[in-house]
Parts: sequence; structure tokens; C-alpha cells
Amino acid sequence: MSDRAQLTRRDLLKLTTCALAASGASEFFTAWLDAAKAPAHLHAAQDRPALRDYQPQFFDADDFAALQVFTEILIPTDDTPGAREARCAHFIDFVLAASTDAAPDAQAQWRDAMRAVKASGFHTASAAERERLVAAMARPERERGATHPAYFAYRLIKQQNTFAFYTSRAGLIEALDYKGNRFNASFPACEHPEHRVVPSA
Amino acid sequence: MPDVYDAIIVGSGACGGWVALELTRAGMRVLMLEAGPRVDPADQFRHRFPFELDYRGRGTPGLLRRYAGTERNYRIMIDNVENPYTTSPETVYSWGRSRCLGGRTLHWARATDRMADYEFKAASRDGYGMDWAVSYAEMKPYYDRVESFIGVSAAAEGWPQFPDGIFLPPMALNCAETIFTAACQALGWPSTHRRLSQLTRAHNGRPPCHYCGNCVNGCDVGAMFNPIAVTLPPALATGRLEIRTDSIVARVRMNGENRAQGVTYIERESRTAVDVDATWVILAASTLENTRLLLLSAKGGLANASGTLGHYMMDQVSGGGVSGFLPVLKGGPSRLDDGKMAGVTIPAVENIDAKTQRKDFIRSYVMNATGGQTEFPQFAANLPGYGSEWKKEVKSRYVAQARVWIAGGEMLARKENFVELDPEVKDHWGIPVLKIHFTHSDNEYKLIADFQRKAEELFRKAGGEMMPGPVTPAGFPGGAGSPQSAPVRGGSSPERPGPARRPLGGSIHECGTARMSVSPKEGVLDSYCRTHDVPNLYVFGGNAFPSTGDKHPTLTMMALTARGCDHLIARTRA
Repeated sequence: MSDRAQLTRRDLLKLTTCALAASGASEFFTAWLDAAKAPAHLHAAQDRPALRDYQPQFFDADDFAALQVFTEILIPTDDTPGAREARCAHFIDFVLAASTDAAPDAQAQWRDAMRAVKASGFHTASAAERERLVAAMARPERERGATHPAYFAYRLIKQQNTFAFYTSRAGLIEALDYKGNRFNASFPACEHPEHRVVPSA
Repeated sequence: MPDVYDAIIVGSGACGGWVALELTRAGMRVLMLEAGPRVDPADQFRHRFPFELDYRGRGTPGLLRRYAGTERNYRIMIDNVENPYTTSPETVYSWGRSRCLGGRTLHWARATDRMADYEFKAASRDGYGMDWAVSYAEMKPYYDRVESFIGVSAAAEGWPQFPDGIFLPPMALNCAETIFTAACQALGWPSTHRRLSQLTRAHNGRPPCHYCGNCVNGCDVGAMFNPIAVTLPPALATGRLEIRTDSIVARVRMNGENRAQGVTYIERESRTAVDVDATWVILAASTLENTRLLLLSAKGGLANASGTLGHYMMDQVSGGGVSGFLPVLKGGPSRLDDGKMAGVTIPAVENIDAKTQRKDFIRSYVMNATGGQTEFPQFAANLPGYGSEWKKEVKSRYVAQARVWIAGGEMLARKENFVELDPEVKDHWGIPVLKIHFTHSDNEYKLIADFQRKAEELFRKAGGEMMPGPVTPAGFPGGAGSPQSAPVRGGSSPERPGPARRPLGGSIHECGTARMSVSPKEGVLDSYCRTHDVPNLYVFGGNAFPSTGDKHPTLTMMALTARGCDHLIARTRA
């Protein structure tokens, strides 16, 4: 058998215990259920204490503050909620804090990423400079041959931020208007005659 | 509790549930043994959005290394720690399993297609392998019986390679599926609504589908076929069925007259071994678990005079496919596109008769296509950019998603693909586990390459814009940086020697390992799925398949079960 198949019951019990012990889990989860539930979220935080007073478990205070800003640059609040309302940084921190035993590699990857972000000057930069720094980090995504020492950090934050946002109520319901997961009387058939012919080349 | 039951059924899935229905209605007293726990649909199958789940569907870090599935449905999967299996070094195979009352049909894809004679009699046409010991004409009454009872929504089309059945009205097509249908027509390919055992109107006391899209997490109302909603309630209503869950069968016991005496099972929690006896013993514990039990029950394997037990393992091949967008749908309104979890089916058009016989590969494949809104926008993290413009682009493309995938591709039966008992590894209850030896041949690679060409052709004809890069973005389950990444399926696959060819996938449609044959020298089972060697021992599941065909196998497994039950019941009355 490989090492992967050697995960023991004791290991798993430890993992579960660890996750449940982390940061008052049930109150925290309940709190983000309501995050961005009402239109007022665009102007005033609807924070419950568990979110308002959240203390990061995995990141230090500087990294967590930087991560919050970074995620909000990537998915800003505009005419729909963004990473701020979805508490994306909180979710990333919470999951990583519960990953000590199960995914130490992921924790190490995030520590490297935040070191690279810090080395770019992001933590102490002004708001405008931070926008410019993220733009520079993101360039290799669109430009073949472009490089940036923090590109891997940008990609990592973008990937997890995207997951955190579009699995939140703010992202899935408010931003995307997802229609599934409900009781429906019928399935809506396509009623567009133009879809019954192939588009011309 | 009788001293000797008329029949013991091992397993409670699609086949086990059907056996229970048939035998209890025939007046037999039946004991069903299920290794897993009972399931409470009202509690476990509720609609839940990802933000209502602690870890948004991924589960506690590490959880999905223990269980397959997701945070929503892992309870109806299997505990890989308690139930390991091993693989040979060259094997890349993920054995998808469930252990609970109802089995895999609690979360299955519901595809319910009849096989045709170009599959049953493929060996006669192209010379490879062995024909089935049954024909379509022999199977048709049993397909009719099963479909009539479980309810199948579909459209009758009259195509010989895709036999029609007893159908409820088909589900409506969404916009993307309508566009793919038009593309198929333009290419001269057949296409139809995906055939599903999912109700479009009330049927046999069950309500119709309410299009929530949660099928793979368990149906909360019983609108899709599964034993706990469909076959077990009427069997229990006869008063002749006893179900014991958390009962792990360890072996079939024989008497001195070459008949199965009964089985020994282990109580899950107490680990107490219990013997139960019956006149008839029926294994319906899923394909490979059935074979494992036969291997555990006698040195060299029970009912293995042919020497074929464990051999000719197959699983329909998967891999490739196209994901992307239909530009004509971009920016459109949000619609309930994924509420039926379905699509269109493009039946096989290659190697179905002499006219379509290819020179480069044998056998065939079926394609599926669908599109539109899905719950999570998998593409988003791979879409370059960020900010408000990126958000708008994600929203615009969210409703225009499209994909073409292989529904089932035939894998050739080869003796060197086999399962055996691992001499060293045991499960949580001390029962030896299976070791799987499984590789693909050139034919499967050529078949998949042909599918890929056709999938891209269809996508282009539909005006589709293919998504560059990996279909599953890095950073999501299985990718780097995700604390919940790399779910482990339970198998082990250390360093792989051999050519660096990308492994092909399976379809959770494992079959073979106790194939049916006319001659007892060539297989384990007869055409009724009774073992050639032990006259009161039946094996229902995918074991009997001499070839995979290209249709999803569950309906055929159930039709074979219905046919075998008729045979068994006739023996009781002889």
C-alpha cells in the first residue's frame, strides 16, 4: 500500500477534533451564512460578532490584513458584493488553520505566498500602489514571457479567493443569481427558435 | 427469525433490491444483509447550498482522503480507511464504492440505456472476445419489466443501436442542449434526451422530479430510482423481507453436497461472526465485492472450475472531452440549467455494423453534451484577470458554459486485467482485501482519440469556444494550494513503470471478473447469472458481463437480475 492509504483512524479522529476545536467553529459558520444577505451589505457591514471580532488563526495580523485587501482588489465590491462581504480572507484563514495535520504542504505554500507578497512591498504600500503591485503580479497571466516573483502568490490567492467567493451566499446568489438547489414545478425548456439552428460560421 | 431462510441476498443496491422485490412477491422469506448503515433521506438528502456547509462542500481538511464524494454526500460513499484495496504497480484505477442501504444508486448518474445486439454479439461481428450468452430478444422482456417499474424518462427514437423502451415523457432541453441538438442534426448524427430513471410525472406512488439538481447527493423525494425509495418498500410490505444492516459478509459457506449452505457475516460494531443459512444464496454486493466473496469462500475461489474467476475485469473508459462556452448564450439571463443533471446523448455511430466498422479500432462509445449554469463556476479561476471587469466576464460566461463528455466507451476484456485477494492487507474486520491489476490497451487509446476528435467537431459545429488549459483548475479540489486537495480513493499506486502515456479514466462501471458463458469451461456464470458450479448460488451485478458495451450498465444489470430471478423462482416451483 502507498502512504496515502495508510491514513489511520487515529489520524482522522485527530483531524476532526482539530477542526472542531478551531476558533469556535459553529458560531463562525453560522455567522457567514448571513454574510451579504441584504442589499445593505454594500454600504454597511452586517457583521455578527463572530465575524466582526474575528481573530485570524493561521495568518498573523499583518498578513491577514494584507490578504483581506488583496482579495478585495481581486473581487471588489461594485454593483454586486465582493470578497469583503463574502469574508473570503476569513474563510481562507479558517480552513488553513484547520489544516495543520491534514495539509501541512498547503500551509507551507501559503506561508511562502504571503512572504512573496510582503517582499513585493504590498503590506506597507498605499492603496494605489497596492493596485499597481497586483497588476504587476498578474501580468504573466496574460502576457507570454512576462514573469514576476510573486506571480505564484497571485495565482494561489486568486484560486482560493474565487472558490471562497463563489461558494458564499454573496457570490453564488447575489452575484451569480444561481437558480438551482430549490423545489421547482417544472424544468424550463429552451424557447428560443434561434437555438434550433447552428450558428453560421 | 426462521432457522433457514428461503434466500439470503448479500447487498442492497440496484440488483439486491430487485431480487428482494421479486423473491418476496413470489412468497419467499428473504434475509438481506447490507454491510453499511441505514440511510435517512429526510435528514441526509436535504438541499444545502455550499455556504450552508462548514467547508463549502470540500469537507474538513482530510475528510475526503477518507471518503470519496463531497461534504454533501460522503456519508453515502465508503470509508476508505476501514475498506482499503490495493493495486499493482502498473495500475491506475479508482474503485468508486458505497456502503449503505441502497448502495451506489443513492447517488448515481441515473443513465438508463438498453444495450443492443451490436454489443451483445460484438465478438461475432469483429472476432474479439466472447459473445454474451443472451441476445437482445431474450433481454427485452426484462428491460420492459424493470423500466415499467422504476420509471424512465426518455424519447423513443427507433435507432437500432439505442433500443427504445417503456418511457415516461422526456425532460425538456435547456438552451445549450438545444444548440447541441441542432449541431448534431447539422452533422448528421443522432441525438436524444439523456435517458434517465428520473420521473417526469408521478409513477408507482412516487412524485416527479422537482429539478433541484441534487441527484448525486441523494434524492430527497425518491423521484430518481434507488432501492430505498423504489424496490425495498414494496418488498418490505410483503412482510417477508428482513434487512440486517451493518452486517459484513465474510464468506459463503458450503455444505457437503456442493450447495451453498449460507453465509457468515460480521456485525460491524461488535465484530461478532454470525452464521445464517438459506436454500438459495444470492450475491448482489457490487461487481468486485461479489468476486471478492467468491475468492474468500474457497481456496482458489468458489465456483471457479473454469479458472476465469477474477479475470477479464473491465470498466468503461473515460477521458478527454471538451469544456468551454457557447458565445450565443453569453450575457444571458440566469436560468435553471442544471436542475435535471442531464443533457443530450449522442449514441454510437462507429463500429455498430459492417458498414461502420473502423480499421483503426473496434467497439464504440456514446457521447453526452450539456451546458448552461452550474452551481460553481469551475472556469473562473482560469479566466485571466481580476476586478470588476473579471467579475462581469465570469457572470456573462456562467450561463454560457458548455461541455461534451464521453458517456461510456467500451473497454476490451483482457484476461490480464484481474482481481485477487491481497495476501497482506486486510480490512477493518480482518477480511483480506482485493488487489486490482488493471491497464488499458491500444484499442482504448484509439477509441478515446476518436471520441476527442468528434467531441471537438461537435463543439465547433455548435459555435462553441473551447476553454484552454486544464478542465479542472489548479487550486480546486485536487490541485495545489487547496487544503482539502488530493482526495484519496483508497487504492494505492506507487511508482508506475511502462510507457509515459496519460492514464485513461474509468466510469465507476466496473464489470466482468465472473463472466457468463454458454460453456462452463469459459466462465463462472450461466446466462441466468447462476454459477455453473454451485446450483443454488446466483451472482447479480456487472460480474456476468463478457464485454462492457458502451451503455451505462445498471439497467442491464437489473434486467439480468430480473431474468435470473425468474429462473430461480421457477426452480423453487419445479
